[in-house]
Amino acid sequence: MKKSLKPWIGTGTTLIMAATFVAGCGSASNTTQETVKPSAAATAAATTAAGAKPFAGKTISLVTANHPWADAIKPLLPDFEKETGIKVNVESFFEDQLTQKLTVQFTSGSATPDVFMYRPLQEGKLFFKNGWVQPLDDYAKKDANYDFNDFSKSAIGSTTVDAKLAGIPIITEQEILYYRKDLLEKAGIAVPKTLDELQAAVKKLHDPKNEMYGFVARGQRSPLVTQVSSFLYSEGADFTNGDKATINTPEAVKAFTTYGTLLKDYAPPGVLNMSWPQAFGIFAQGKVAFLTDANSLYNNAIDPAKSQVADKVGFAVFPGGKAGSKPYSITSWGLAMNAKSGNKDATWAFIQWATSKDVVLKTQQKGNPGARTSVWDKPEGTTGFPAALVPIIKESAKAGVDHDRPTVISVGEARDAVGEIVQKLMTGETNIQPVADKANQALQTIMDKDKTK
Amino acid sequence: MIKKKGQGKRFLQTLLTFLVLIVFAFPFVWMLLASFKTQAQILSTGQLFVFKPTFHNYVAVFKEYDFLKFIWNSFVVAFGSTLLSLILGLPAAYAIARHHLQKLGLLILVARIIPGITFLIPWFILFSKIHLVDTYTALILSHMLVGLPFIIWIMISFFEALPTEIEESALIDGCTHHQVFLRIIMPISGPGVITSSLLSFIFSWNNFMFSIILAGDKTKTLPIAVFNFMSYSEINWGALMAAACIITLPVLLIALVSQRYVVSGLAAGAVKG
Amino acid sequence: MQYSWFNRNLKWIYTLPAVFFVLLMMLFPIIYTVRISFYEWSMSATTPPAWVGLGNYIALFKDERFWHAVGSTFYFTVAALALEVILGVAIALLLSREFKGKNLVKTVFLLPMVATPVAMGLVWMLIYEPTIGVANMMLKSMGLSPLLWLASPNQVIPSLVIVDVWEWTPMIALIIMAGLATLPSDPYEAADVDGASAWTKFVAITLPLLRPTIIVAAMLRLIDVLKTFDIIYATTQGGPNFSSETLNLYGYVQGFQYFKLGSASSLLVVFFMLVMGLTLFMIWMRKRLEGAS
Repeated sequence: MKKSLKPWIGTGTTLIMAATFVAGCGSASNTTQETVKPSAAATAAATTAAGAKPFAGKTISLVTANHPWADAIKPLLPDFEKETGIKVNVESFFEDQLTQKLTVQFTSGSATPDVFMYRPLQEGKLFFKNGWVQPLDDYAKKDANYDFNDFSKSAIGSTTVDAKLAGIPIITEQEILYYRKDLLEKAGIAVPKTLDELQAAVKKLHDPKNEMYGFVARGQRSPLVTQVSSFLYSEGADFTNGDKATINTPEAVKAFTTYGTLLKDYAPPGVLNMSWPQAFGIFAQGKVAFLTDANSLYNNAIDPAKSQVADKVGFAVFPGGKAGSKPYSITSWGLAMNAKSGNKDATWAFIQWATSKDVVLKTQQKGNPGARTSVWDKPEGTTGFPAALVPIIKESAKAGVDHDRPTVISVGEARDAVGEIVQKLMTGETNIQPVADKANQALQTIMDKDKTK
Repeated sequence: MIKKKGQGKRFLQTLLTFLVLIVFAFPFVWMLLASFKTQAQILSTGQLFVFKPTFHNYVAVFKEYDFLKFIWNSFVVAFGSTLLSLILGLPAAYAIARHHLQKLGLLILVARIIPGITFLIPWFILFSKIHLVDTYTALILSHMLVGLPFIIWIMISFFEALPTEIEESALIDGCTHHQVFLRIIMPISGPGVITSSLLSFIFSWNNFMFSIILAGDKTKTLPIAVFNFMSYSEINWGALMAAACIITLPVLLIALVSQRYVVSGLAAGAVKG
Repeated sequence: MQYSWFNRNLKWIYTLPAVFFVLLMMLFPIIYTVRISFYEWSMSATTPPAWVGLGNYIALFKDERFWHAVGSTFYFTVAALALEVILGVAIALLLSREFKGKNLVKTVFLLPMVATPVAMGLVWMLIYEPTIGVANMMLKSMGLSPLLWLASPNQVIPSLVIVDVWEWTPMIALIIMAGLATLPSDPYEAADVDGASAWTKFVAITLPLLRPTIIVAAMLRLIDVLKTFDIIYATTQGGPNFSSETLNLYGYVQGFQYFKLGSASSLLVVFFMLVMGLTLFMIWMRKRLEGAS
């Protein structure tokens, strides 16, 4: 019995193995990044509706994050289709799943999606170095009507890698201070303008016996890094300086200590496991006086369906430290083109349309802070935000720093290394310098390894 | 005296059953209540059971275009993968149990031992090369890899527990092995088959990782719908809970119906001595 | 007796489709992963993988975080599995007798397993929230002091064990209930005639007859507990400070957050061998308990 089946099994397995070796010899082909010269047709696509529809009938795939920008763009897609004849298939995913899906598809050399949302500061450098994105310099500069120079310099700076334009910025954000107007009024405290004033105010309003905590912010290891960055910059420090890691300088340690002790002594219990949903959750339940985080999250504090203190929340510019008020002012999301896309010109037509002045005005009116200066300058460009927030945004953008995390390739690892310092402070570590030194060494190692990529 | 003891025991059993029910149902009840609350209410401790309900969340879920398509897709994939797993798995489990084919059983178990993430990139490469991404086929095949080992191993233990007398007497009566399997063993394997296929169905229904990678626009499954309510700057807790409740409903109904078929006791009298 | 070719080779005809299917689906991923584990690759389309031989494995064994993950995985697995098996058997017995509303109770009891894991993870995250969560609310109402639950490096794994036990005990109970349903009634009738007590019947008849089912349920659960991902990812992402980071989670981080496919693959290979080893151990134990070959 066994004898008769054995050759069967043998041939079958051999066939399978042969198939897998043929199919699986990796997808890393030694191609250098080509700079594609856009055809003249691409530039004519979105702007001249004078019957020129060179891509009519083409379909491109767009992958977005679950984001209000995607919600604002989706209803406008039929307009794009009418104008150009290009059909856009769009899929949306939660942040982490977006990265997962893009990673799997790009690793496999897939031609889809043609265009996608990405986080320039989190994955921009890596995606570029991996050859996954198509440099857009030539596309962006071809059409004068597109007015590439209208994009703010810092926004473009964050989507530029190795002097090449990796993507077009679509969403910007800054770190601000959220506070309880009623509590400050009752205690006769002015809105803090410096970190020292903030610490004093937090201490004064901290009343745990009555379930009122002075301060809350992100305490989870990796999420906190972007929010502690403003503390760093305002003390005159930074994650890196050129090729060196600088998270153990006296200024840096002071910044980390401020943030860490605020969370240790004046935050609700459990802050060690908090990212923004939990931090805003407790703030919205009226149990905290101050919160520092991104301005893009304001709905969680002032929407009556979400917050019990909706009408009592005030916005303020991030308090200044030794170096003044230096919150981050970054591009959180950009649009990029798949380097292996089969419809590059048509895809550019879409990107051009989606980031054109008209469309940016429309999306910004739905509350999506874009990167075009002209749109911010228009009065109708700011109607999408609460009136009180607009001056804060403009003020924060002025002195803002264009990154909120280490500007390395291995951002994930770097964030985990930096976050440890604050987490150690939060669990009561008093001698923080050795921890900072060790973390700095870890960050330096990551930076050195990145150099070889 | 005996009557009292019996009553006391029954009372204790009822109490325990109640307790078990409350403990295991509570988080789900919490979720159900939350699906009728606003976010502010969900996060507050004072409004656990007493609150002003809203249907807003359920409206939001159904306004989410294609929600019915999600349900259909999940159903097709779960049903398809479970059915195919039964067809491939039941005979295999029987043969492995009766002929002690341990090595093959172990080989099949290996599929379950491999961590799921191992499959993501290689499968995407494979399936996209043969143009099967965003098809029911790819999803069913990938879900089968989870359900099949499960069904096989549970059924192995069931088949091993069946006394061989029944089969032996049937063979003596002139049945072939194949007939024994189909006509004698299968009918009395109800509880095992129902249980293992229910579990396979549930695993497929909730499978998230494979669906994210292999599904596309046409074949999106339900777990992805839950994530729709988690966005960059807000988590729509209420709608998320509502979606989760809706997703659970079909499976609950199937479970309720199939429980009736888990009949007690072997075919009584089939073998006596 | 006449044996046709079909009947002679029946055991192969029955098993080979399943075996072939499994091999077909598994082979390429295994080869791919093992192969990449000997390289360092950030999944770049322009830079090919760089050969490092055993480099990834050596780095792994020197990695403090890896060993920590091993410890966490074991802690979580042993605690969760033990509780699930014991509770599962107990509850199966409790729910196996006849009573009114039995089907409804059994169906409700399935809920933890049926509900979408991601949603349940988020629900538990809110339940465990120290300030606004129900868990501390209940502790306070009983006069006990509130805990930090998921936010404490010491309490996080027990807290997660509770979630896992809550979610998966029903599965073990379900399998055992089906097993109980197929038990023959003869031994029980004989024992009743002899006047045996309920406990004696349980220990002398039920337990031995159920043993194969319990062991298989435990083994299947063991494999899944070791690979637990959804609830940990949804609630703590491995924190605080990596204290709840298990091997599977660390592998995911390496691959999809650090983009180090080589390291991730080596970790997955080691993880696989670990789970395989434990499974073989359980199978060997099963054989010994059976007595027969």
